[in-house]
Amino acid sequence: MTEATGVDELVTETADRLFTQICDHESVQNAEAAGAAPEIWSAFAETGFPWISIDEDRGGSGGTLLDALEVLRLVGYHAAPIPAAETGVLGGWLLASSGHEIPAGPVTVLPNGNNITASVSGDQMTLAGTCTRVPWARIAERIAVLVEVDGQSMVASVNPKDCVIQPMTNMAGEPRDTVCFDGAIAPASPCVAGVNPESFRFRGALSRAALMAGAIEKMSQLTVTYTNDRIQFGRPVARFQAVQQHLVWGAQEAALARMAAETAGREANRGPAFFEIAAAKLITNQAAARATKACHQAHGAMGMTQEYPLHHYSRRLWSWRKEYGGDAEWSKWLGNAAVSQGAEGLYALVTGGSSVLS
Amino acid sequence: MRFTPTELTEEELSLQQQVRDFLQEELPPGSHEPCLGMAANKDKAFSLKMAERGWVGMALPKEWGGSDRTAVDRFIVVEEMLRWGAPVGHHWVADRQTGNVILKFGTEEQRERFLPAICRGELGFSIGMSEPDSGSDLASVSTKAEQTTDGWIINGTKIWTSGAHENDWFVCLLRTSPMEDGNKHAGLSQLLIDLKSPGLEISPIPFLDGSHHFNEVTFNEVFVPDINVVGDLGMGWHQNTTEMAYERGGPDRWLSPFSTVEQLLREAKGTELEETVSDLFGELVARWWGIRNLSLSVARLIDTGEAPSIESSLVKEMGTRYEQEVVEKLVHLIDIEYSPDSDSLFERLLAQCVVTFPGNTIRGGTIEILRSVASKGLKGLPA
Repeated sequence: MTEATGVDELVTETADRLFTQICDHESVQNAEAAGAAPEIWSAFAETGFPWISIDEDRGGSGGTLLDALEVLRLVGYHAAPIPAAETGVLGGWLLASSGHEIPAGPVTVLPNGNNITASVSGDQMTLAGTCTRVPWARIAERIAVLVEVDGQSMVASVNPKDCVIQPMTNMAGEPRDTVCFDGAIAPASPCVAGVNPESFRFRGALSRAALMAGAIEKMSQLTVTYTNDRIQFGRPVARFQAVQQHLVWGAQEAALARMAAETAGREANRGPAFFEIAAAKLITNQAAARATKACHQAHGAMGMTQEYPLHHYSRRLWSWRKEYGGDAEWSKWLGNAAVSQGAEGLYALVTGGSSVLS
Repeated sequence: MRFTPTELTEEELSLQQQVRDFLQEELPPGSHEPCLGMAANKDKAFSLKMAERGWVGMALPKEWGGSDRTAVDRFIVVEEMLRWGAPVGHHWVADRQTGNVILKFGTEEQRERFLPAICRGELGFSIGMSEPDSGSDLASVSTKAEQTTDGWIINGTKIWTSGAHENDWFVCLLRTSPMEDGNKHAGLSQLLIDLKSPGLEISPIPFLDGSHHFNEVTFNEVFVPDINVVGDLGMGWHQNTTEMAYERGGPDRWLSPFSTVEQLLREAKGTELEETVSDLFGELVARWWGIRNLSLSVARLIDTGEAPSIESSLVKEMGTRYEQEVVEKLVHLIDIEYSPDSDSLFERLLAQCVVTFPGNTIRGGTIEILRSVASKGLKGLPA
């Protein structure tokens, strides 16, 4: 650990090296066609990375939330086709916060689980309802279902075999399945304080901000390389002022998104970070829109092909932008926070963030 | 290129609070017409008060009247002043860049002569870069300084010189030896020129709304003594480029519309407009928070001894475009015919933003030039 609020450098180096080896263009392409990438998952799981930030005595790998978010940033940077966020900082967090066992395989969660109904009898929960857009449900070993029962947040550790799963995808071809729970019975237990549907929503947004920051940075770097290699009119197209505009815009959005995601991560790692997470998700959403536009434009027709890797990042970004809250949801949340501070407190909110919201 | 997240320490937060208390006392809301960022009114009395607290030239060494404070400390003071719309115009240029240039390149005698007076908030500086035939292509400047026995004789014209009619001194980029083929960056030097010098004429170039900021400064056989040459002869281009790094990427590049936005919230509170603007405020606070973090990390980098010129160019390009975007969003969302002499302060400020903000992406280097600088720096990054 470099400092109390820093990321373990070894995590960055090891994860980057691993993904560089196992997530090349072809394997990411194959994973999309196959709907899963078991060999990539195995290599990832072997390192213990999926369970960083979950205490070792709970079956995790230890480490901080910051380390886990750094891994997610690199998952985004390499477009790794695996349920990394779902297994660790989301599903693993829910299971560990409610005393469930952490399984050896992938875990998923319900990003849109509000319409699931549950009845509890002893330590068993019976679930009903259908949930859409569940990441990687088809390969999950457990689905961590968070529901409120009589005002108490509870987590059920559901075996996907007890559900009906209909394969669906997002725009990047990543599994976003429809899961029908009708009649599923699973062990359930209450969550520790602070783990509830609201905090889960924010944590989901934080996970996406980290993934998106990585993908935007990769897209920006691809664009710089491509435009410096591509010769037209006798010189690299990067020498043209009109193209430089796109390079600069891509790099700015990458910097802005990463700064936002890392700052939100730092705050979340040590306390309430509602403002920072909301701002980070809105920023990465909008950065994704602006960066994909600039980077695609600079690539010309090449960026519109399957053979060139830009689409692994741009299509993921278009999808992740809408997961755990699109622009409207977070600007509304932030707008209420801003207006509630009033003119006198507006700048203190910009500089102080969650610390001024009580 | 790497923007590392940073945050304010306890001491820095306490400085922030001191500045806020000072502003609350000196300029309580409603007591003054807020200025729009660094295009601020010149109010020497206000500058002197800031200087009393050690907030002018604060990053300069104590031996020259400064406070040995960091770039981050200066960031905090500047940020609070600008978001408050405080009249920082008098000391602005000296505090942001001229003090640094004299410290870094000036002689011992120049430091003694200028730095303590800068830190006392007394001296106002103008900058002489553009000429009628030299704008973005700054190295093509042709105003000449020719050597005489104990100094230089200057002939030529500088334009867009902000505040020359009110300031004391002029830091000018001049050609001290003829342009060589293929090396137009050589032969340029920086000279400190008294704006009251005989033969120096200042005439206004009215701003588009009729206000007077810009001037044309003509030199007709103006004598400047040798002791006023800053740094080594012929090194003016290098010194000027270094100076630009101080000029870019700070709060002055993204806070200009803040007073306007704050005033909108003040006037909309409790009216039906409050709901209309709520979501927009959400987006604005998020973007300000994000850009501020980038800008703060540049200041922190400067304190580690680095010269983050790519990073500061990226922040300036983005920040100034953002300032314009904020104004466009306000205009788009709020359907009123705002007027420069409305009873509503928000309307007056918005009208002023609309008319003056096209200049934000031009002053101190156009965004096109910044893109060119920054994109060359992106090339070396690993992909």
